[in-house]
Amino acid sequence: MKGARRVAGALGLALGALILAGPAPNVIDEKPLPALGAELGAFPEGPMKALADQACLHCHSADMVRQQRLTEKQWTAEVNKMAGWGAAVPEEERAALVAYLVEHFGPGNDSFRPVEARPVGK
Amino acid sequence: MVRPEPPRSRFGLSRRAFLATTAAGLAGAAIGATPPRPRMLQMNGYPLDAETPLDLLGRSYLTPNDLFYVRHHWNPTMPDPATWVLKVEGEVEKPLALSLADLKALPRASATCVLQCAGNGRAFQRPVVPGVQWRYGAVGNAKWTGVRVKDVLERAGLKAGAKHLHTFGADAPPEKVPPFHRSLELEKVREDGIIAFEMNGEPLPPLHGAPARLVVPGWAGDHWMKWLGRISPQAAPQTGFYMDVAYRWPNAPGEPGIAFKPEEMHSLTELSVKSTITEAPKSARVGHAATLRGVAFSGSPDVAKVELSDDGGATWAPATLGRDHDPYAWRLWSFAYTPRKPGRATLLARATDSRGSVQPKDPVWNQSGYLHNGWQSVDIEVGE
Repeated sequence: MKGARRVAGALGLALGALILAGPAPNVIDEKPLPALGAELGAFPEGPMKALADQACLHCHSADMVRQQRLTEKQWTAEVNKMAGWGAAVPEEERAALVAYLVEHFGPGNDSFRPVEARPVGK
Repeated sequence: MVRPEPPRSRFGLSRRAFLATTAAGLAGAAIGATPPRPRMLQMNGYPLDAETPLDLLGRSYLTPNDLFYVRHHWNPTMPDPATWVLKVEGEVEKPLALSLADLKALPRASATCVLQCAGNGRAFQRPVVPGVQWRYGAVGNAKWTGVRVKDVLERAGLKAGAKHLHTFGADAPPEKVPPFHRSLELEKVREDGIIAFEMNGEPLPPLHGAPARLVVPGWAGDHWMKWLGRISPQAAPQTGFYMDVAYRWPNAPGEPGIAFKPEEMHSLTELSVKSTITEAPKSARVGHAATLRGVAFSGSPDVAKVELSDDGGATWAPATLGRDHDPYAWRLWSFAYTPRKPGRATLLARATDSRGSVQPKDPVWNQSGYLHNGWQSVDIEVGE
């Protein structure tokens, strides 16, 4: 009992210290986070953006593409796979779409950052 | 080189709970850390894919439901638990349609185990491969409660010729896109599988497959069908893109960069042994212990040891494993590193599982970047 009181006293002191100290520094400046799924990246501007929007966004957000770092060969395979699954890419525009994807999301792409999002229920 | 230190308590706390809980606050003060902000790293807005940030990953034995990674193949039509039924069809004497109440009336079973996306760590695969560029956090450890697959199949009267369990969820892709239909060996799923409707003692959240999902301890997440609507024992495996092309593992190792043909691979099943460093100081001082923490898991029932090296893997010293462990669950670990000389120290971690598999320096190459388990390293600047 005595021991328990001593522990409680120590905890109370510690709690008091926490209150006096105020919130931890990184609490003060925190901006609210977007909800999961609320914030979506967009394809970069360019002549092929409209086609990329039309071909890709029916099934998945642009994020799925923006995080890739693929070679021309890999992008060609991806575009062909997606066209086979119904992505609206006219045959004659596939090469231009691949070039756009390689330009922005080629092996050197380090621009993608995941969105820091609020957990469900927070 | 090192002195092991006891790992942290098993119970995870939100930052708010952490600050409000004095004892936990004292523990935090002792390691000089403010708990990180509860958040997820969203990789794909839709279908939603999000991983647990590394600094939140290893803070508790059980990963909180709201911080557990989320992976979707397609946008699901979330079933209404009031009208949802699980159909049991195929090679059975008596097909069933079980409501959630029917399921809950069966004997309960639980498993505390790791769920890891097959693609966790894909971002580190070299050469680079397409797919969600998961880093560390497409993994978590939870207590899954429901009913045994075996009990459900017994009630339906499983026929002798069935070898594979076909599984169907509620996520339906548009038009010509292949559906995420799967199957797995009946022998495994009948022995260990659970149809779970609870996660960490709460009703299974919609993002995690409510009303019920399949749990396959030790096997990668592609087997853990969410929004489960139908199971069907069959003599032959399921066919289709997600069986014949995706989620396959090479029969024999090959040079990084080569494309294995589908027939040179088989269905990916067990997780590979892996250790992740979830917390490490950026700086330390010669002669003063600095604590690293992490998690380790495997497709084998337990982790035997986790070791760290500061000399590129020439010598290794054991970490202290957390007390909590269950078959196919992860082990928390901690390691007190006392640097002996100033400069940059690079620490590596590797795990060994209960079957003797040792985490390799480099992962097994496959063109989809599955089950990356190469050694992770962290740099610590050591001052005098």
